[in-house]
Amino acid sequence: MKTIAISGKGGTGKSTIAALIIRWLKDQELGPILAVDADPNVNLNDLLGIRIEETVGAIREEMKRSAHKLPGGMTKQEFLEYKIHASLRETRDFDLIAMGRPEGPGCYCYANNLLRDILKTLSDNYKCVVIDNEAGMEHLSRRTTQRIDDLLLVSDPSARGVHAAARISKLLTELDTRVGKKHLILNRVKKDIPDILEKCIEKHGLDLFSFIPEDDTLLRMDQSGKPIWKISEDSSAYQAIHQMMGELMKKGKNDI
Amino acid sequence: MSKLIATKAIRGAHTLVKRAEEELRLAIQQKGPATKVEFPNTGYYLPVSHGILGLHIQNLEGLQALLDEAKKLLPPMPSDKLWVPYLGNTLDAGMATLFADEIIEAIKYTQDPLPYLLKANPDEEHLWIGAAGDIIMRERGIEFVDGTAPGFAACVGYCPTNEIAVKIARELQEKNLYVFMSAATDGKSMAQQLREEGIQMGWDTRLVPFGNDVTATVHSIGFATRVALSFGGAQPGDYQRVLRYNKNRVFAFVLALGPVDDEKHAQAAGAINYGFPTIADTDIDQILPSGICTYEHVVSPVPHEKIVSKAIEVRGLKINITKVPIPVPYGPAFQGERIRKEDMHVELAGQLQPGFEFLTTKDMDEVEDGKIDVIGPEIKDVEEDTQIPLGIWVEVAGREMQPDFEPILERQIHDFINCANGVFHMGQRDINWARISKEARAKGFTFHHFGTIVHAKIHGEFGKIADKVQVRIYTREKEVVELREVARKIYKQRDARMADMTDEAIDTFYSCTLCQSFAPNHVCIITPERSGLCGAYNWLDGKAAFRINPTGPNQPIKKGKVVDAEKGQWQDVNDFVYNNSHKTLEIFNAYSIIEYPMTSCGCFECISGILPSTNGIMIVYRDYTGMTPSGMKFSTLAGMVGGGVQTPGFIGHSKQYIGSKKFISAEGGVKRIVWMDRVLKEELAPILEEIGKREGMDDFIERIADETIAITEEEVLEYISKKNHPALAMPPLF
Repeated sequence: MKTIAISGKGGTGKSTIAALIIRWLKDQELGPILAVDADPNVNLNDLLGIRIEETVGAIREEMKRSAHKLPGGMTKQEFLEYKIHASLRETRDFDLIAMGRPEGPGCYCYANNLLRDILKTLSDNYKCVVIDNEAGMEHLSRRTTQRIDDLLLVSDPSARGVHAAARISKLLTELDTRVGKKHLILNRVKKDIPDILEKCIEKHGLDLFSFIPEDDTLLRMDQSGKPIWKISEDSSAYQAIHQMMGELMKKGKNDI
Repeated sequence: MSKLIATKAIRGAHTLVKRAEEELRLAIQQKGPATKVEFPNTGYYLPVSHGILGLHIQNLEGLQALLDEAKKLLPPMPSDKLWVPYLGNTLDAGMATLFADEIIEAIKYTQDPLPYLLKANPDEEHLWIGAAGDIIMRERGIEFVDGTAPGFAACVGYCPTNEIAVKIARELQEKNLYVFMSAATDGKSMAQQLREEGIQMGWDTRLVPFGNDVTATVHSIGFATRVALSFGGAQPGDYQRVLRYNKNRVFAFVLALGPVDDEKHAQAAGAINYGFPTIADTDIDQILPSGICTYEHVVSPVPHEKIVSKAIEVRGLKINITKVPIPVPYGPAFQGERIRKEDMHVELAGQLQPGFEFLTTKDMDEVEDGKIDVIGPEIKDVEEDTQIPLGIWVEVAGREMQPDFEPILERQIHDFINCANGVFHMGQRDINWARISKEARAKGFTFHHFGTIVHAKIHGEFGKIADKVQVRIYTREKEVVELREVARKIYKQRDARMADMTDEAIDTFYSCTLCQSFAPNHVCIITPERSGLCGAYNWLDGKAAFRINPTGPNQPIKKGKVVDAEKGQWQDVNDFVYNNSHKTLEIFNAYSIIEYPMTSCGCFECISGILPSTNGIMIVYRDYTGMTPSGMKFSTLAGMVGGGVQTPGFIGHSKQYIGSKKFISAEGGVKRIVWMDRVLKEELAPILEEIGKREGMDDFIERIADETIAITEEEVLEYISKKNHPALAMPPLF
């Protein structure tokens, strides 16, 4: 199983990149794919062109709220597992689970502990898991996410974006999360990457893995609200993803 | 461990690595570095190097990299004078041996004629069949995963007589174990002995002759490696997962028969890396303390009549062959398998169709054992990608069967069905949900088989209480809806019985130490009448969690001798709390707020604290941020009560506990409540009302103050005095 997480500060287009990666994995027949929307704003489903009925966060709240009146004879573990499986959105090419809102006040140790086990068992059913992460990395830091093979840090071609990516990278190191490799992806690159930006990347010790050019097709799809999922293979953004993912999957294979 | 055995293993490894180097040099010289190298019909390259190192060796030149790795691992020979710990070095030597084995075996496949017959079974002329192809590995490997075959015995050397060889082989076969044979000693091997006795060998009979050479032992390890890659989801190169998977899932061991030379010691060291111990019939040095293997690593000398049972014991193997007669593989490995909509043939019950699962007791003459009926359409009658109802009605008869066992057995239906490959199952009672995959359907799985599974497993696991089992599977809406109503009535009765359960009625509580990560000395004791203080765990959850994870944070605690029934103190519970609080808490009272009260982690839903002048207590819920009559806000109180220390006069607890008859019953219970925050008071109004009525007060809630009435202790006292609160007339708190 390959687990790829995409993270970055808001507005850098990480959900778009997540959607493109899922589409690429499908095109390469590397499924079944589990898409995990771990951004509380929940929009990956729009990009993929499907609707979300229920989020894990909402289920968790429901369980906590009605802890005394769960269906008779059912443990919370069983209840949560049932509800999470029922919340999964299924399509021919991928299944989608949305994490939803982060937790409110109160003690979540128990719920998160259950959740981690359930999500782990669920994701074992897939060849690829793609996680669209929020910048705060709640699910990583709370360890509700299992091991990640590749973390893609998405940034726009700006120093501020790169700083933010470096911060996330550092945060993860401090949190001692289980992340295999970290790669920097620059999104919406107009022409070349200016020297000064390259220096900035170097300074932060990041590995500039790939960049995605600004793509008019993508922009138009976004403006008209069309799901990115349907993007043409000829578009420059898709081509860039094709190249990047080819590299990423190859790297994974030869790792010792 | 002894230096002697380490020395032998390391010396053996040196010999084999040297031999590999020599043979590789010769082969490259004669055939050229680009000569293709492979074990035939496998996608896993040379499996040990592929699984452990992630190498993709395809030609002689590629073997050089493997040789380099082997050399890197090879530890120096132990010196005569120096004594150091040897297990690490021995393990490295073992791994180097496996790499050397694989080089030597791979070169064999470049020879003409091939030394191995590339078939599943030996023929008249050829005894040795070499590495298994992937088809065999998948077909047979799945038996390891689903439990049909618990593991394999890698037999090296030969037995003193042919008769003993046959006896050992038969005994292993009876236990459903595979027998992998290799490594002749002085030209004699177990496989040849079996052949001389006319025993049928090959994958079909589970007696597999790999090769005459000691290096052919690597085909056993290679097989195990491929099982981890193929069924265990381990990635090539993720050696930790490959090894751990084998230790936990593949119950294999080495039987060393006859004299054990250095090179066989080296193979044994290789096997230990995988958690496979070695059992020898001759007197060799032992490696007893556990560490890598589940129990001992090398045990000897073991007499032939005991060697199989000893091996099973040392490997920690539980032989439990209750084969479920269904056309798909079956075993715990398939739990948690989700059938994707795309792969599904039919969905039963779930969100769109009605369903239920129900188990009941019948008299002996009312049950015909093994009778399974499907009422409604069978799988052949339903189109692909449809949803249909599902009712599973189980009737059990048995001399030892009691209605109390019904819910326990009924809850097992989920676990039973979930173990079938290609079948997904969730929930229980009237919220059940199942899916059957297209693949399982193609293999011949039918609705009838739900009954087959339940019948076989109840016999297998509850044979002591169930003598006869019959099952009816309903798939038509009319019957499912009708019978669901019948079942629902019984579910209700069972729940009522559960709700009436008291601490006195059972002899086991459950601990919860989930929160020790941040409150290291805190131990929750969960009883039927006192749920965990976070409100998340009740006694049933604790019980279920223990069943799912027997070494987890929820452990059963026998109550033991009653020390004080009123305060809720038991000898064995005291002992458990003492030992698990890192010896900081000696006495524990379950029902008192004043004397040795239960500690808290920090997860409590509510905090109760005494208000001395009122002779009563206040309760504040964690969402309430205002001031309380104790002069502290919830956050301040939490800091004082949490962290695993006993704070007499204060406890953290769940909301649910307030409604329990055991709520601070040592101090008189709910009647002591003089103040609650308003939200909590409203939420618990029905419960408080009921308790008030029981005590002869219709307006008990009225007598309890809240923040809209009083926020200082004086104000509370004034209010409850006016209202004639029962706490005022109770004995002093302390």
